[in-house]
Amino acid sequence: MQVVETPVKLDSQVPAGRLQDKWDTYKDYVKLVSPANKRKRTILVVGTGLAGGSAAATLAGLGYNVKSFCIQDSARRAHSIAAQGGINAAKNYPNDGDTIWRLFYDTIKGGDYRSREANVYRLAQVSNNIIDQAVAQGVPFAREYGGLLDNRSFGGAQVSRTFYARGQTGQQLLLGAYQAMSQQIEEGNIEMKARREMLDLVVIDGRARGIITRNLVTGVIERHLGDAVLLCTGGYGNVYYLSTNAKNSNVTAAWRCFKRGAYFANPCYTQIHPTCIPVSGEYQSKLTLMSESLRNDGRVWVPNDSNDTRPPSQIPENERDYYLERRYPSFGNLVPRDVASRAAKKECDDGRGVGETKLAVYLDFADAIKRLGKQAVEDRYGNLFEMYERITGENPYKVPMRIFPAVHYTMGGLWVDYELQSTIPGLFVLGEANFSDHGANRLGASALMQGLADGYFVIPYTLGGFLAGVPMNDDVTTDHEAFAATEQEALERINRLLSIKGDKTVTEFHRELGQIMWDHVGMARNRKGLEEACKSIAALREEYWQNVRVPGVNETFNKNLEFAARVADFLELGELMARDALHREESSGGHFREEYQTPEGEALRNDEDFAYVAAWEYTGDHANPTLHKEELEFEYVKPTTRSYK
Amino acid sequence: MAKNMTIHLKVWRQAGPEAPGRLVDYTVKEANEHMSFLELLDVLNEQLIKEEAEPIEFDNDCREGICGSCGLMVGGTAHGPQPRTAVCQLHMRHYNDGDTIVVEPWRAAAFPLIKDLVVDRTAFDRIVAAGGYISATTGGAADANALPIAKEKADAAMDFASCIGCGACVAACPNSSASLFTAAKIAHLALLPQGHPERTRRVVNMVDQMEKEGFGDCSNHAECEAVCPKGISIAGIATMRREYMKAMLSS
Amino acid sequence: MSNRGKSLIAAFRSPVGKKVLTGLTGLGLTLFVLIHMLGNLSYLSSDPDAYNNYADTLLNLGPVLYIIELGLVAFFVIHIVIGINIYRRKRKARAVGYTQYKSVGQPSRLTISSKTMIFTGIIIMVFLVFHLLSFKYGTYYETTTADGAVVRDLKCLMTEKFQQPLYAFGYPIVVILLGFHLRHGIWSAFQSLGATKPRLTPMIYTIGVILAVLIAVGFLFVPLYIFFSQESFSCVLPS
Repeated sequence: MQVVETPVKLDSQVPAGRLQDKWDTYKDYVKLVSPANKRKRTILVVGTGLAGGSAAATLAGLGYNVKSFCIQDSARRAHSIAAQGGINAAKNYPNDGDTIWRLFYDTIKGGDYRSREANVYRLAQVSNNIIDQAVAQGVPFAREYGGLLDNRSFGGAQVSRTFYARGQTGQQLLLGAYQAMSQQIEEGNIEMKARREMLDLVVIDGRARGIITRNLVTGVIERHLGDAVLLCTGGYGNVYYLSTNAKNSNVTAAWRCFKRGAYFANPCYTQIHPTCIPVSGEYQSKLTLMSESLRNDGRVWVPNDSNDTRPPSQIPENERDYYLERRYPSFGNLVPRDVASRAAKKECDDGRGVGETKLAVYLDFADAIKRLGKQAVEDRYGNLFEMYERITGENPYKVPMRIFPAVHYTMGGLWVDYELQSTIPGLFVLGEANFSDHGANRLGASALMQGLADGYFVIPYTLGGFLAGVPMNDDVTTDHEAFAATEQEALERINRLLSIKGDKTVTEFHRELGQIMWDHVGMARNRKGLEEACKSIAALREEYWQNVRVPGVNETFNKNLEFAARVADFLELGELMARDALHREESSGGHFREEYQTPEGEALRNDEDFAYVAAWEYTGDHANPTLHKEELEFEYVKPTTRSYK
Repeated sequence: MAKNMTIHLKVWRQAGPEAPGRLVDYTVKEANEHMSFLELLDVLNEQLIKEEAEPIEFDNDCREGICGSCGLMVGGTAHGPQPRTAVCQLHMRHYNDGDTIVVEPWRAAAFPLIKDLVVDRTAFDRIVAAGGYISATTGGAADANALPIAKEKADAAMDFASCIGCGACVAACPNSSASLFTAAKIAHLALLPQGHPERTRRVVNMVDQMEKEGFGDCSNHAECEAVCPKGISIAGIATMRREYMKAMLSS
Repeated sequence: MSNRGKSLIAAFRSPVGKKVLTGLTGLGLTLFVLIHMLGNLSYLSSDPDAYNNYADTLLNLGPVLYIIELGLVAFFVIHIVIGINIYRRKRKARAVGYTQYKSVGQPSRLTISSKTMIFTGIIIMVFLVFHLLSFKYGTYYETTTADGAVVRDLKCLMTEKFQQPLYAFGYPIVVILLGFHLRHGIWSAFQSLGATKPRLTPMIYTIGVILAVLIAVGFLFVPLYIFFSQESFSCVLPS
């Protein structure tokens, strides 16, 4: 497939100076907005997860007029709430040698050397402030008996730097941000618009000036004007239909911005989490993740013989293949997420999967129970075991768990510079929605850190810098023709979807798209499969606009209509992901190309040709997107090959 | 192989807040014991769309029992019969082939119905906005370990903080009281030293807001605790009352 | 009125204040019925004057009695007014009811008792009026005790009343309903006052149930004894 490249170099706006000084220098010199002028600025914040919630609360606290939007019925339900494990910070409370540098280094390495050094360093720098802020808000992190904060270790690090609140860290951090937002709502600094979906971005004179939303209760299409738009709308894992994302998580807001000129970076980088509860049937609507801490004591295995249908307890030790321990003797069951996921896929591809669907491997705690006693295992994993039993009806103390990888997080997203600004001036992108900090693979407990870093500590500075440079009190109102035109387009799309009245439901199309994505743009990819995916996605999209059936009308609560519009965008995004995966002829992080692997089957990166961010520009519905490259320069960290043997 | 079952449903259908509502009978023939209850409704909805009928609307999102979006009266019980389980994690293996299940929305005047099984729970947001927070300007926080908090207290605070705001407590309460929801936040913040400076205002304002929203009063039936997917204890309500009395005596 | 006074009234109108007042008055009234019940049992004492002496002591308290009676009236009124208010708000708070409703059981305390507080309460309130008319404001009989004192012969009035089936069986029904009211009420009062800990809750609940049963059973004895023994009596009006 032909890739259109442009020689235009993307300017990441990274400040000059030593890595360690860049953020401080930036803050020293960034322009400020006076309190009186802040009141005159309206900021539209789309999404109320960790990034959006923290940004809205902080900006409102600074004195800006904030309008917040979320698709859920309350800001408190954004999908950040489902994050279980924890949040990293370089506090070094355990005195085990952690530093800001190490957190930075681990994140760069974990991202397989595909992220921007300056951003990641800043992330590590502000990580500590996040913990302080959360504790001040009353986030009940786990503590030791002495009353100090407890830390645990997490994948990809040799230190204990993860703060947690039981298995509900995301929930607690989100509620902290939500409560801070609530205070600002009460004080009149935030206007909260729940059950609103952003359908499009309004660009006026090259600047993001507003959004078009649909009131999900009444169907009314609304116009909102602002001085800047903050997109905090999360990731696009639901393009796979089955993922650990919430049912309503979607790419629409980001995709609409892409179509208005924001570049989409590294769409192919998808994180597939190894320890999820397997699919049980066609009706399956989503997948449930279980903390990867389970691999600390559980042993992963499959039967040697692919025809072995005996229950696991009757398969003798010598007829079991503990394949992770066999293939990775030094890391064993604790290899990183991408490696563990691919290994499970390989076993199932070879026909050695277990359970009714043969799409699962065992995660066995029998040895741990023997070694530590049932009580100790219960103390460590009790709530996870309970959750597993609730969903599967099987008792993991007696029967090995069945697990399978599932799509969990998307590292790609809208391209942003150091200031988190997209290629459309005035459009800032925060959290999972941007591409910025995790490179090709995200480490555990880093998503919460990034969302809050962006919202609490980065955007308050960089947004001010932007606003200080743009004129105030221009005569743009929501009556501007761009608002009218954008609203019209949004409405037409809805009407078109409703008028097709075809034979297939939105879910049927979504499931088909998911299958294509999982088969060809999933854990392992190859040229043939990707080319096929591009074709079949295009065909499916074609069929969608001919044959989808969307029930009901616009002027009411209509979940199917919401989904229909989102799936339409997923059908476009899927192709871009395949295209990006096709052009990236290397294996890095969450992107594994079968053609580029070592003889032992490990990922083979190509730093010579692919040490860049691939940022795609939309050029029309029937034209190929244009590729822009942001070369990644590693001044401080020398890329090496990850090895977990 | 997973067992197939036929499930009969009686589902509350109501086109809008002002429209009349009624229970409508449906049958799902391809139910399966591994399905979640919401997946059963998905299957029914797919069936309805194919029949050119309008699918049943119900709120749901994470489907792992943490976002608090879902909430249905299933068989007369908030979130259905499984203890400590939100309806999204209720699985069909707890039912038998041929069972008939009544599905109704949360019913409370403070939760006006939007459509079918969807209700408006923004009253909860307003209760939190009335004081369910600690004022902490971003960036002004002291080091996180500057103030040690006994593990027992932090754990107890976490017990209350785990509320998902689903509204089952209100739905199950014979009085439609929001006491457990309100108290969970008050107790969470009252247990932590960071919450102390604002504790007086917080409890008075939140309780006032709770009343203004039109929730009923608490009669200590404790049904709320029994249906709470997070098992939040009504001890929180006792704490709220102590906090309130303290606030009264100190004002 | 001072601001503080105003805010205090507002506080007692609040959902929490109402419960605190209900709990306080409820506990006070529980104490009253407990003493009342124990006093009644003196009817069965081997000393034939025991009951009348006990009543006479109370009557001779003078102003103290009035204060106690006033207090009791206040407690009843507050308890009843708030109870009715809570019920009315509850009705308003759920305009459309459920077609099907099922309690999930433990740790729920939802019982026939807790669901019928308003009804048992109203029955007790109506009963109270008749009860006062029958006894406190009933026929004034007199008798001379063994000590030679002339006192009101309430014992005889009781005998007269409870030998009639309406009284002998009407009263037990009401005290059983009172028992049901207290079964939820006693524990509920502690919870309303915030005077519980999760660890203590089962114990407080159990003590409440035991106390409720004791009070109900204690009240049952005298009417049933009088009715079934049908001793002859003659009451004397003051000359």
